[in-house]
Formats: sequence, structure tokens, C-alpha cells
Amino acid sequence: MNDQRESRLIALAAVFLFLYSVILTLAPAVREQSLNVAFRLSHWLGFAAWLLLAFLAYRVTSRLLPDRDPYLLPSALFLSGWGLLTIWRLDSGFGLRQALWLGVGVIAFALIAFFLKDLNFLRRYKYILLGTGLALTTLTLFLGTNPTGAGPRLWLGCCGVYLQPSEPLKLLLVVYLAAYLADRLPTSLNFFPLLWPTIFATGIGISLLLVQRDLGTASIFIMLYAVILYLATGRRRVLLAATIGLIVAGLIGYFFIDVVRTRLDVWINPWNDPTGHAYQIVQSLLAIANGGTIGRGPGLGSPSLVPVAHSDFIFSAMAEETGLAGTFGLFAIFGLIFARGLIASLRAKDRFRRLLAAGLTTYLGIQALLIIGGNLRLFPLTGETLPFVAYGGSSLLTAFVALALLLIISNQTDVEPVPLPSPQPYFFLAAALGLGLIAASLTNTWWSVIRSSDLLARTDNARRSIADRYVKRGSLLDRNNQPIDATEGSSGSYKRVYLYPELAPVVGYTHPIFGQAGLEASLDDYLRGLQGNPSSLIWWDHLLYGTPPPGLDVRLSLDLELQQRADQLLGKSTGAIVLLNAQTGEILVMASHPNYDPNKLNEIGASLAKDSTAPLVNRAAQGMYPVGTAAVPFYSTLGEVNAPSTQQLQALFEKLGFYTTPQLSLPVAIAAPRDETANLQVSPLQMALAAASLSNSGMRPAPRIALAVNTSQQGWVILPAQTQPVQIFSADVAAAAALQNSLQNKIYWGWIGSANSTKTPVTWYLGGTLPNWQGTPLAVVVLIEGNNPFTAQYAGQELMRAATKP
Amino acid sequence: MIGALVLALRLLMVLALYVFVGWAIWTIAQDVKRTGLQAMPRRVPAIRLEVWTQNGQAVSQAFSQPEVTLGRDPACDVLLDEETVSARHARLSYHHNQWWLEDLESTNGTSLNATRLNTATVLTNGDEIQCGKARLTVSLGNNDTLPIAQKL
Repeated sequence: MNDQRESRLIALAAVFLFLYSVILTLAPAVREQSLNVAFRLSHWLGFAAWLLLAFLAYRVTSRLLPDRDPYLLPSALFLSGWGLLTIWRLDSGFGLRQALWLGVGVIAFALIAFFLKDLNFLRRYKYILLGTGLALTTLTLFLGTNPTGAGPRLWLGCCGVYLQPSEPLKLLLVVYLAAYLADRLPTSLNFFPLLWPTIFATGIGISLLLVQRDLGTASIFIMLYAVILYLATGRRRVLLAATIGLIVAGLIGYFFIDVVRTRLDVWINPWNDPTGHAYQIVQSLLAIANGGTIGRGPGLGSPSLVPVAHSDFIFSAMAEETGLAGTFGLFAIFGLIFARGLIASLRAKDRFRRLLAAGLTTYLGIQALLIIGGNLRLFPLTGETLPFVAYGGSSLLTAFVALALLLIISNQTDVEPVPLPSPQPYFFLAAALGLGLIAASLTNTWWSVIRSSDLLARTDNARRSIADRYVKRGSLLDRNNQPIDATEGSSGSYKRVYLYPELAPVVGYTHPIFGQAGLEASLDDYLRGLQGNPSSLIWWDHLLYGTPPPGLDVRLSLDLELQQRADQLLGKSTGAIVLLNAQTGEILVMASHPNYDPNKLNEIGASLAKDSTAPLVNRAAQGMYPVGTAAVPFYSTLGEVNAPSTQQLQALFEKLGFYTTPQLSLPVAIAAPRDETANLQVSPLQMALAAASLSNSGMRPAPRIALAVNTSQQGWVILPAQTQPVQIFSADVAAAAALQNSLQNKIYWGWIGSANSTKTPVTWYLGGTLPNWQGTPLAVVVLIEGNNPFTAQYAGQELMRAATKP
Repeated sequence: MIGALVLALRLLMVLALYVFVGWAIWTIAQDVKRTGLQAMPRRVPAIRLEVWTQNGQAVSQAFSQPEVTLGRDPACDVLLDEETVSARHARLSYHHNQWWLEDLESTNGTSLNATRLNTATVLTNGDEIQCGKARLTVSLGNNDTLPIAQKL
């Protein structure tokens, strides 16, 4: 019956891993949404290796240990296969190594099952075993290396094979403590003298680890010692003392050891430093959030964004690709191992076996909970490995040795268990492990369901720019549907191309490193397909591909022909031009010089922000310039006054919208406060809206730049202006003010203003069509940094001429 | 299209995971149920033994556990302080809905109704047991049965 149960469970694990492998093979096709891709195949080697080793391990146990627990081996094989494929998916080189180590682990498992059935060997040679472990760990002080070349030297290595002695040392400590306490406790009445040898042995281990700066393993040692002693003696004081000891050690570490302080700070508040020390944990939480309920699917997430995802952060990689559904199953499998381990312990036929089984279960439990909790920010991060799952030969080997010992202990029929004087410690241990798994499940739900969308919207979530490579972003079009920005290439290598780069300060850019700016940023939801698409489509695409649906094209009010003319006219001058439809507020031209070429952002991106000429700033909407005499054409609206008073000016400027921040889908400068008159600064856009009121019968229009979005279901949908036009003058007053500045033989008015209040003088040119103009009323504003009335006037008049040309 | 296919595979994969977990839990639950059934309080009909002392008086003892040992050892349920009785002389046990008597390889043997006992034999009401020179009478009360303590 044991054989049947075990083989059936292993078969189910094989089904899971087979489906995982199939999905991983198909993953590139799903990502690029095309069948013409390079399918992933190398991990099938890992699956085959797992299948062979699982069969071997099953044959060994059914031959050598007929009455073993039938759940432990399938659970361990399930976890190690899942881990192996996850590692392979992250990096096939590591995957191959892990498969070889899994082979070593299963062979060690078989050898122990064959030679060590009588555990008295361990009991008798406990000092030699522990001594060997300590000696190997001591060797790392002198001969230690790190396979990655940097970091703590915790490994002993030769010829490309590395062993981390602190992993088997944990196991040897458990064996030693179980053997010693099982021998001594029943006879001894005196508590403390009995414990000196164990304190001494554990102390040496801990000091070695402290010298090695392997603080995570040192704290595991303290916990293992406390729990095993508690199990053996039933004295709750032991746990209390260990808890206090760990807290005191933590506090001392916090104040005197930098590593501990950073780890604790990062645990308490990772959001302060998401790009520095907290980078790993924040990225881990982002990965878990991206997993959501059922995960992105094997090969379909981006778990490699988390550093060292294959070892310390393998849990977050699994959470991203299998979601809450997968991690709950993972917790259940760990729970199964803990429960069966404790049952084997309670049914054991002597005290040594009982303590050993409980100790091994504790070792697996503490290690799993600490690193899962660390990935979930439930506990501070300790660099431990997830047993059976994470990359690492020493850890995998140790876990399989522990598994073999547990199976040997569970291999008995109807033997009367040794009497249990106080069962509370075992109930306590079971409750602690169960509570740990429940806490992990709740925290996992918190990150992957409740906080998921907030986390994924963070700008340091690189998955957004990864999605941009696979999903076509919408184009930005001018008013005649001429493309300004477009996405070119094919899925997997989509690239944003800026077809009219001179508009860069206005339309901005979208870039995986430098983020987004301008209209690319403010219209991102449409361009990315997250707005304007039916929510069912967005949900479905997220479920299938983990990406938003294809983006939507947005039509702008800009006129590329006029824009080109404006850019020529502004030339090398520093300044801005705004030309708008005075009636509708549609912006036809928005030029800002100097500008930059966003197609070359990879090369120039870093230096742009430091450029003293500020090419990134959209001077037309974000630049604030002193008004000076530019407001004079509006004075006539006040009636016959020689010099307007401050109150009159404030009222006028209020009407003109100089104190109002224009609302449109474009980053704009915040308007000046209301009490400012003499030193008032406005943006060219504000000035153009004010000028438009003179050409539009006293009505100040509401600005618009994004006109419409091309939805898949309803075609072009109008994006309305965000504010309402305001009647600020009567039509007669406005017409009079416009006519006052009319130019000879022209159908438009014009005015040159200047201001000197800041260190650089600025020149304004305001213009607009006259009331008797039959076509579309237009208004223009040219601003030049420096005293250059000729260029300003020429540019303004030329642009008006071009725009009013029939 | 491929996306929907892979979505179906992803759901199947999750299903495989939970069938693994669910099947493990189900079989464990079956085990627990079976163990529970075995440990359910079985009703054992009370057995009353009258031990005849040398001066012809009878001391009566009633038992409700499924196993009763007789012998000279003080650990025995029925203490027979008599030189011809072995330390652990005989055993009464209840199984297969019957009380059985069996001799524990005693020196002087056990007789049931004056017949020497070689194998375990079913007892009936009023049977007379002889262990060495000690004599006991069995009375099986069918009406006052007592549940044994639940042992898990």
C-alpha cells in the first residue's frame, strides 16, 4: 500500500512537472504572440533527469524501506523538480548543475538508505561527525572561496565543485544534539551540568559562523539548539531564553554590525531605499505582485529582474510564474513534509530517533519559513536556501540526507512508540510550523492580490518596459494623421521611433531607462492600451500574456507642416512658439528650442539632464517668463486709463488666465500666485490663450492638444477639452483691442513686447487674426530668450501668413 | 490562440498540484478514519470471576477490559496467592465476540471444567477454571456491559 501511494504521488508530481515543461516550451510563442519563434527545449533534459532520479529514488525506498512514510519522498521530489525547472528557466547553466547535484543527492539518499539503516552509527560517532563538520567549517576560514568570485567566503571548492560546509553542519548539529540528549536526559537529574557539552559544541559552531559573517546560519543554529532542547526537556524557559538571546543579538548587531543594520532597516522600511539596499526585496515584492492569483505561467513572467533569483529569491520567481495558486500548493507540500516528519518522530521506537526526526523536521521548517518569509518581507532577509528547491549543491545534498534519515526513522511497523513524557513541545512545534505557513499565505495574499496593482504601477517596475518590447505601443499622429511617434519592429523587439524629433520637448519620449516625458507620459494609458480598451480585453490580455493589449493611436491637434515652418523660423534662438486655433483652443504649433533627438536617447540621455540649456524643458508650456510690456495690448480693455492701478492689473490678469494653470494633457508650469503683478511670470501657452481671446470675440478658449483616440470598437473617439472657454471681454472690447494693434495690409494684429525683470531679457511677439477675418481665428505667441524683437516679429508674422494662407 | 491554449495548460498544471496535495490529504484522512474506527470504544461484556479461597469463601471480581491475567505475580489482574500457581499462569481475553481462556505455559497447567487446556478455549457462563490448585467460577453478565476507556 505504501508503494502504491508513493508511486501515485510521484506520478502526479511528474504530471505537474510535465505540464510545467510544456508551458515553458511554448512560452516564447505566447510572449511574442506568434508561432514563428525559437521554442525553449533545453529544460526537457532537466525533466528527463528528474524522471530518472525519481524512479531510482522510488525503487530504492520500496526495496530497502518497505514500511516508510509514503508522503515524504514524493513531496521532496515534487519540490526538487519544481525548483530544478524554475532554475533551468532562469538560467540553463545553473539548471544543468542543479540537475547534477540532484543526482548526487539521490545517490547519497540511496547510500544512506542502504548502509545506515541502523542509526546507532550516528548515535555512537556523534562527536566525530560534529567534529568533522566543525573542522570543515574552520577550513573555510583559511581556504574559503566564493563561487561567484565575490562576497563571503563560505565555500570549499576544487575543480569547479563547491561545498558550503555550514549546510551539512546544521544537519550534524541536529544529529549530535539528538544523540547526546537522548543518551543523557533520562538518567540525569541535574539540568545544567548536563548541558555544558551541548552549549560548548553549539557555541563553537556559532562563533565560527559569526567569524565567517554567516549570520543567517548562526541564528538558525540558535533556533535549532533551543527547539531541540525544548523537545528533549519540555522546559519552556529554553525557548524564552533563546528568544531573548536572539533579540539581544539582533539589537547588538543593529548597532555594531553594518550588514545586520542594513538588513533590518530594509526590512522595516524598504520603500525608503528601493534602488539601493532594498532593491532586492522591492523587486521580489514586485515579482510576487506580478504573479497575482494564478501567476503569469512558467516562462511568462520576468523573475530574473530580481537579483540572484535562482538561489535566495527562488520563492519570488515561483510566486511570479505560478501565482497564489502555486505558492499555496507549495506551502501545502511543505506542510505535508512537516506533518509527516513530526508523525514519524512521535511514532519513533526510541528517544534518539524521536529527537532526530523532530530535529530534522525543525531544520527543514525553520530554513523554509525563514527564506519564504524573507522573500515576502515577513521576516528580515537571511541568505538561506529553500530546502529541496533553491539552487545550491550543498543545500540540496543536505536536504536529501535529512530526507533519507526521516524515511529510515519512519520505516517501522506496529512498533510500540517510546513513551512521551510531555507532548506539549511537539504540539508547540507543530503549531509554530503551521502558523508560520499560515502567516506566509496571508502575507503572500496581501502582496499578490490586495497590493498588487499599486506595486505594479511603480516606476521601478521594469515589467512595463519589457511589455513595451512585446506589445505595440500606439502612435502619436498630427491632425492630418501624419505620424509623429510610432513603434516599429516586430514583437520581442518593438522600438519607439520619433519621426519628427524636433518636437521632442513637447511629445517627450518613452524609454526603458529614462522613463517617460511629455505627451508620451501624459497619454501613456491610451498609448499602452490600458485606457480606451474594454476592461474585459485588458483583463484577458493580462491573464494570457501578462501584458496590456495593443496600444491605441492618439491624434494630436498639431499640424506638422506649420510646426516644421515654426521650427525653421525659431532656428537657433532659444525660445518657444505657440500657435493655436483661437476658437477651439486646439494647439497647431508648439515649438521649444533648443531641443534634442529622442532617437539618440541611449547615447545622450545621461547628459541631457545636466545640459545647462535645458533642452528637456518644454519652454512653451513649462517655461515661465516675465510679462513686461507684452500685456499692453490688453490694457485698452480697461477703458481710457493712462496707467492701470495694481487692482486693475490683478483683475485683468485674472481674466487673461495668468493666474490659472492651463489644463490639458501635457505637463505645464503651475501658474503664478494671485497677488503677483509687477514681477508676474507666465508661460507662452498662457499668453497665447490670452491673445486668442482678442481674436475670438473676447472668449478665452480652453486649450487642447490630444484630439481623439482610435479605439478598436468605436473608431475615433473625441477627447474633449478639460476646461470650458471663458468669456472674458465683450466681443466689441476684444475687437477694439485687436484692431488697435492691426498691421497695415494684414489680416492680423501684432505686438512686440519685452521684459527685463530677470537676468536675461525676453522678447515677446503676440499676434492674432482680426475680427473681420473670415477663416478660422488664430493666435500666435513667440517668445525669445534675449533681446531679439526682429526674429520674434518675423517668426510671428511669417507663421501667421503661413497659417492663414488659403 | 496559443495564449488560450497555454492558459488551459496553466490551469491544468495548477490542478495537478492540487490533486497531489488533495490526494495526499485524502489518503491521510482515510488512515485517520481507519485508526479511529479501530480505537472506537468497543463494548466488552463484563466478566465476573469468583475466586474460591482455601477456607471455601468466594471473592468476586468484575472486569471490563478486554484482557485479564491470572497469576501469583502482583502485577496480574487476578492475584492467586497459591504455591501451585505460576507467576503468570493464564489469560482471559475478549475477541471475536467471545471470552477466551488460554494457558500461559504454566508449570501446573490450567483446566476448564476439569479438562486440561491445550489451546485457547471459549468460555461460557458458569464455567469452572482451575489454575494449579486455585479454583475460579466464571459468570458472564450479558446485560451489564461496560465500555472500555478510549485509547488513541
